[in-house]
This record gives sequence, structure tokens and C-alpha cells, in this order.
Amino acid sequence: MDERFVLVGARTPLPPPVKARKWYEGRPVVSMAVLAGIVLGCLFCGAFVSGEPGYMDLLHSSEAPSKEFWFGTDTMGRDIFAMIWYGGRVSLLIGALSTGISTALAVLFGTVSGLAPRWLDDLLMRLTEIFLSIPSLLLIIFLQAILGKANVWSLSLVIGVTGWTSIAKVVRSEVLRLRNSEYVMASRCMGGGFFHILRKHLAPNFFSSIMFMVVMNVRAAIAAESTLSFMGIGLPLEVISWGSMLSLSEKALLSGAWWIILIPGVFLVVTMLCVTNIGGWLRGEGEQRGNNL
Amino acid sequence: MRQKNPFLYYGGKLVGFAVSLFLLSLAVFYVARLAPGDPLVSYYGDRAEKMTVQERTRAEERLGLDQPIHVQYVRWLEGAVRGEFGISYKYKTDVIEVIAARLPNTLLLGGIGFAVIFAGALALGAICAWNEEKWLDRIICKAGTVVSCIPEFWLSLVLILVFAVQLRWLPSSGAYTIGGGGIGDRAVHLVLPLVVTAAGHLWYYAYMIRNRLLEELRSDYVLLAKSKGLSRRAVLVRHCLRGIMPSYLSLMAISVPHILGGTYIVETVFSYPGIGTLSYESARYQDYNLLMILCIISGGTVILCNILAQIVSERIDPRMRADTPPEVTDHG
Amino acid sequence: MDDILLDVQGVSHCFRLGKNTVLRALDGVSFQLRRGEIFGLVGESGSGKSTMARCIMSILRPTAGAIRYLGVNICDPGQFRAHKELLQTSRQLIFQDSASSLDPRMTVADIIAEPMAIHRARPPRGSLRNEAAFQLKCVGLDQGCLDRRPGELSGGQRQRVAIARALSMGPELLVADEPIASLDVSIQAQIINLFRHLQEEHGFTFLFIAHDLAVVRYLCSRVGVLYQGKLVEVGPAKEVFADPRHPYTRALLSAIPIPDPRRERERVPQSFDPAQFCREGRLREVSPGHWVLEKEGES
Repeated sequence: MDERFVLVGARTPLPPPVKARKWYEGRPVVSMAVLAGIVLGCLFCGAFVSGEPGYMDLLHSSEAPSKEFWFGTDTMGRDIFAMIWYGGRVSLLIGALSTGISTALAVLFGTVSGLAPRWLDDLLMRLTEIFLSIPSLLLIIFLQAILGKANVWSLSLVIGVTGWTSIAKVVRSEVLRLRNSEYVMASRCMGGGFFHILRKHLAPNFFSSIMFMVVMNVRAAIAAESTLSFMGIGLPLEVISWGSMLSLSEKALLSGAWWIILIPGVFLVVTMLCVTNIGGWLRGEGEQRGNNL
Repeated sequence: MRQKNPFLYYGGKLVGFAVSLFLLSLAVFYVARLAPGDPLVSYYGDRAEKMTVQERTRAEERLGLDQPIHVQYVRWLEGAVRGEFGISYKYKTDVIEVIAARLPNTLLLGGIGFAVIFAGALALGAICAWNEEKWLDRIICKAGTVVSCIPEFWLSLVLILVFAVQLRWLPSSGAYTIGGGGIGDRAVHLVLPLVVTAAGHLWYYAYMIRNRLLEELRSDYVLLAKSKGLSRRAVLVRHCLRGIMPSYLSLMAISVPHILGGTYIVETVFSYPGIGTLSYESARYQDYNLLMILCIISGGTVILCNILAQIVSERIDPRMRADTPPEVTDHG
Repeated sequence: MDDILLDVQGVSHCFRLGKNTVLRALDGVSFQLRRGEIFGLVGESGSGKSTMARCIMSILRPTAGAIRYLGVNICDPGQFRAHKELLQTSRQLIFQDSASSLDPRMTVADIIAEPMAIHRARPPRGSLRNEAAFQLKCVGLDQGCLDRRPGELSGGQRQRVAIARALSMGPELLVADEPIASLDVSIQAQIINLFRHLQEEHGFTFLFIAHDLAVVRYLCSRVGVLYQGKLVEVGPAKEVFADPRHPYTRALLSAIPIPDPRRERERVPQSFDPAQFCREGRLREVSPGHWVLEKEGES
């Protein structure tokens, strides 16, 4: 460079120290590992858990953690260690299932609302608002009453049906943004139908922005299952899940059996925390990738 | 941009509110009756099962349950317009009385909870933004994430276990000691439910405040204010906090139903005699009249808060006003 | 005449901007496209060119008038539905901005094959991918682009991909809505030559919309001039450029820069006063095939 054009006093910025990014940097490794551990433990618990999880050993009820019962036994004499893993299957399954239901409903509702003419869109949004204004607890009680005695499937359905609105709103606003883009218009011109456009153009483009919401929905669904089961309107006692294990805690409170309350709860909270961390990471990733495109 | 006539503006909102409320009551009325269950059981208790067919018919006639649903609805609506919401099957008194006995408890819990969340989130968010990426911010962020992952009912259980069962410092349930009832007694009963209510929501809003503040702090007008020589604190408090206030207010308006919804669970765990426990009971025991009014109250609150939030954001930020873009008709 | 492919008759389109404001984007426009010709539609921005393209492609429905394509009134939903397959495959549109008309998340191969995938057409060259590769070669891109995404291509390359997509179904009618406006000048020339070459090869009818008159003169056999939603002049390109009759066309033509500075300086620029523009009037034939909008009763 010509000397005359060097600015006086301008400091040339030092290049930032380049450090090779290790594969684990910026990823929630601990959360992923813990979550993987919990999921795998629940899936393959038959390998390391001896005995039936539902077996009631009335001689050993409400026993504190010991060598024989690592996590103690509950008020009905069931081994909490076995129940944690078998119950985790149910809790995680409900989390996944109801999220699937919510997401499917949300994507369908959001795209229909986003692509529909304005009056229909307004109507659908108004209906959503009214739907939201019915307290979800009441809705769940009604749905349960209609569906009869709760089981894993009906509970997933109930949680899924009540939890789709927030994802649907995001899908709708994304679709509103995308539908006026020229590639959607071009696809329509070429004769692309609703599902073609949804699958080929809309879904890939709003996928990253709902990813975070979907992961958070898993968390919310697991929390909802445990809350409902705890309140006695979710799974019954004999269907073991983290929530139904906690429904014994009123009795446990009286006897001061802390392990009945703390152990399933800790598993619950740790799982939810891992899911949250992974969700937060996904959101960051999605934003970055969106900027690169 | 055309300024709308304020009379028309609020009138429109009011009509929207009324229509929403009407549709809500219609939906709840039908859903409640479609759910299987015997309302007579909640009225007569165990006696209902021993009734003969004739006695049942007479009882149903007396309660108006023999009519088709739409007739029942019209009758209910007529009463509701006059301010008569019928009697509670379970408590056998006017539903208004039943609710009047419980509402103050919920308002107390919800109101204080709301105030704590509102002020706490602001303070916490500001502290975090002030100490961005320093150890205090990191600790608060981590702690907040962990707390937000704890289901409310379980947090209640743990708190009861620690403070009521083990330490015996605080009562575990109810709103007041039976027989007693001084202000101190009430306050003591409120501590645990309040902690749980606040903990469940505080972080969500605090995080929102933190991020909005950081966004503001990076904007150009802050640079200008700094270049004029304002201190960082003055910029944060006088400019940024004020800048995010409108959106925070509308956010908090939307948050009211969430916080109320949270108190439902908290009330149930602590057996706190409020609207939440009442709703739960009425839905489980087909106490239709009670259920209807409870749904109207809580649903109405939700709708009202949404409208309020809309008004706040539209009045303050004219960009948010729904002026329609040119409509595109399409076919094919 | 049976060689008329597209017959636009008195088409109007209004946008509702608010409760009381209506924008008349098109106002009783009529023209015809003969099979195999290149028709240029010119006008300043906001004159309704894009609206015309969108009406022809059935993205917008005209508020009045009729558009007949091969005798099918495409403004009529019933007739549209009856001939949906034909209409959707044999009319293709190229947008102005190739960055937004190609899905950023799809690969070039998928983009080009999309029309065939939609209509489940049997690809004549085996697989959809081979077909895409063939079309890509036709528009002068090499195979390496097949697995790239639009974001990795340059503007000219993207527009070529858009052209390849439009041609993949062998269209009868190609509508290009300012296809070169967002490109560099040197690339513009390449794309124009590509259009010319492709048109000679495939023989499709081409509606070319532009505001660049020099390009239109070079490419088109006939030209129509739009102003404020009215067609003010239509005729053979040579004649319109040599002997413009409508004052607006004259003003427009006088704005074409002449590459010779001396002549450019000598020229008297003409201006057109919008206040003098008369909306009411009829097209009158001044010479065979050359029509001009004139006030009623004036000759």
C-alpha cells in the first residue's frame, strides 16, 4: 500500500486467535450424554433390573434406600429402582407421542390458516383464542372423561390435543411469510397441490424455526403427564410412570419418606433440563444456519 | 395512516370480547354435557344411585336436565344475562356465593404472585443485562434454567417436605388455620404457594427482559447517549428500561392467564381454597352451573388480557395496528 | 385466425388497498399472442406489467375481461379446472428475481425436476436427474451445478436454472416477468441471447416483459406499450420503434440512450405530461397491425 494512504492512528485489528473448534465445543455434550443414558437405560432396563417393577413386596414397604433396594421402596412395597426405569419408558413415550400429535396438528392447522384467505385465517385464529381461553386443566378433565379410563395412548392424545397452539402460531406466521415468496407462487403455477407445497417448500423452510418449539413441547408434555398423574387425572397407580409414582407422595409426606418424592422427581427434572439445554442449542444452530442461507 | 375513531375502536374490541365470551360459554356448555357422568350424583350424593326411575325423572325435571341441550343452554343464557347463574349442585347454594367465598383467596395469591413476578423479573433481568456474561449473570442464568425445569407440583412437594414436614416452620396446606385467621396466620400460609407460583414463571420473563435489554444496549441511540457522556447506569435505567416497557407491559398482560393457570396446580397441591380447586372439583363432579361460571370467569380473564395486550401494543406501537395489506385473490 | 395462442380481451384488475381506495392496475387491456412469436410488453414501473403476467398465469384473477388460452377461458374457474393439467404444464413463468423464485433449500436438480415431479411425468431420459442434467446443458450450465443450492450460484446462473425449470415441461407459452432486470449488464446480454436461441430451437411463444427498450427492440417481433394500466400502443416492433404514434411511446423511446455522445447531445428529449393522458379512448389501427390509443372522435 502507498504510504500516503495509511491512516494515522488507525490500529490494524489483530486477527482473532484461531483455535481449532473441537467437535464438542458449543454443543451441550453433558446434556446429550445424560439424556442418552436415561433413554438407553429405560429402553434396555430389562438387562440390569431384576424383578418385576410392579411387584408389591408388602414386607418391605416404605423402606429407605439400602443395599437391597438402591432407591428404596414405595408405600406399596414396590422397588423404586426398577420402577424408575420402567416408568421412564412410559413417561418418555408419552412425551414423544403427544409431541408428535401436537406437531402434526400444529403444522396442519398453521399451514391451513396461513394459506387460507384472510377471513378464514381470522376465523381460525379467533377459534384458537377461544380454545386457549378454556382452562387447559378443564379441557383435559373433559377429554379424559370422554375417553374413559386413562391409559398411555389416551393421555398422549389428551396432552397432544391441548398443547399444539403455540407451535401452530409459529407455523402460521412462517407460512404467511413464505406463501408470498415467489418459489411458492412458482410451484403453484406449475400445479403443486397443498401437500406438495407443504412437503417440498414450506416444511423444510419452517422446520428450523419450529424445531426449538417442538423440543420444548417434549419437555412440556413430560411435565404435563407427571402433573396430571400426580393430581389423579392421569395414569392410574398400576401403570407405572414418573408421574404416577409421585401420586403416592401425599402419603409419603406424612411418613417423611423423602425418597419416594425426591428420586422420581430428580429423574424428571434432570430429563427436562437436558431436553431444555438441547432445545436451546438447536435454536442457536437454527438461527445461525438461517443467517448463512 | 388514518387515525381510527377511539369510540369505534374500543367499541369493536368490546363486541369482539362479547362474541368470544358467548362462543366460549357455548363450547363449554356442550363439552361439559357431552362428557359422561351423572350430575345427579353431585346433587344427591350417594342417594342418586338408589333412586327409582320416577324419582330420577322428577329430579332431572326439577333441575331442568330433561330438556334438549340447546333448550338448557338458552335457559342458562337467559338467567346469565339477568345475573342468575343457578345453584351449585354440590354446595346447594347460589354459585355466586360459592365463588365469592373462594375468589378473594385466589386473587390474593394471584395478585401478590403477579406483583412479585412483575417486579422480580424486571430486577433480575436488569441485573443480568448489567453483568452480561460475568459470573453473576451466568449463575443466575443457569439457576433460572434449572428452576424453570422443575414442575410446579414437585417443587411444592419438596418445599412441603423441607419446610413443613422436616423443619416445621411453615404450614403445609390451607389458607388459614381453622378457627384462627389473623393476618400473620394468612401470610404464613401464603409463603409456600407464593414461592412456587413465582418460581415457575419468574425466569421466563426475566430472561425475556435480559435479552431485550441487551438488544437495546446494542442499538445506535444507546451509543449516542453514551457519547453524550451518560453513565452506563443512566443509559440502562433511563433509556433502555423505558424503551422496553411497552412490550413488557403487553407481555405481562398476556401472562396473567398463565400465572392464574399455574395457581390452579399450586392450589390443588396445597389444598388452598381458591378458584383453582373449585374448578377442578366442579369439572370432576359435573357441577354444571358452577363450572360454567368458573369457565366464564377464567376464560373471560384470558380474552380480556389478550385484548388488553393488543390495545397496549397497538396504542404504543402504531406499526402493530392491523392495517391490511392488499388482498390477493387466487384461484386454481 | 387460428394461430392465436393467447387472447387477452379487455382485462382489468383492481387491488383493494383499503376500505375506500382501489388501485386500478390494469384497465381494459386487449392484445393477442400468435403462436411462435416473441411479444414484448414494455412500460414504466407500476404500469401493470407484472399484474398482466400474473393474470395470464392465473396467479391473479382479473376483475373483468377474459383471457383465452387455446380457446380456454382461464378466468373461469370451471373451465380452468377442466383443463388444469394442460394449463399448468404448457404455460410457464420466469420471475424477475431468481434469488426468491428458487427455493433456497432445494438442490438445482430438484428444482428443475419439480414440475415433472408434480405432474408425475415420465421422464424421457430415464430418471428425473438425467432430465435435469439435460435441461441444465440446454441452458448452458455444466453438470457440477446439479447438487448445488441456489445460494451457491451467481445471479446469472440462477436465472438459467429458472429458465431450465420453465422449459422442462416443454411449454407452449413462456412468460418472463422482467427476467433480466436484476442482472448485470454483461449477463443480461448472455441471457437475452439464450432466450433467442432457445426460442428458435423450441419454437415456444414468448411473452417478454421488460422496461429496457433496447432489449425489446433486439428480441421481440411485436411490442405493446402499457401506461397506467392501459395499453396505449401495440404493433410490430420495427414499426413502433421507427414510427411511434402515441405521445407516451414517443417520450419513452426518446429516453433510450444512444451510444454515440454527439448524437445523444443533439437529441431533444421529449417528456410526457401525465395530466394530458386520456384514459377514455379506443385503439385505432393506424397501419396494418399497428394500433394506437386515441380519444374518441379524433382521427
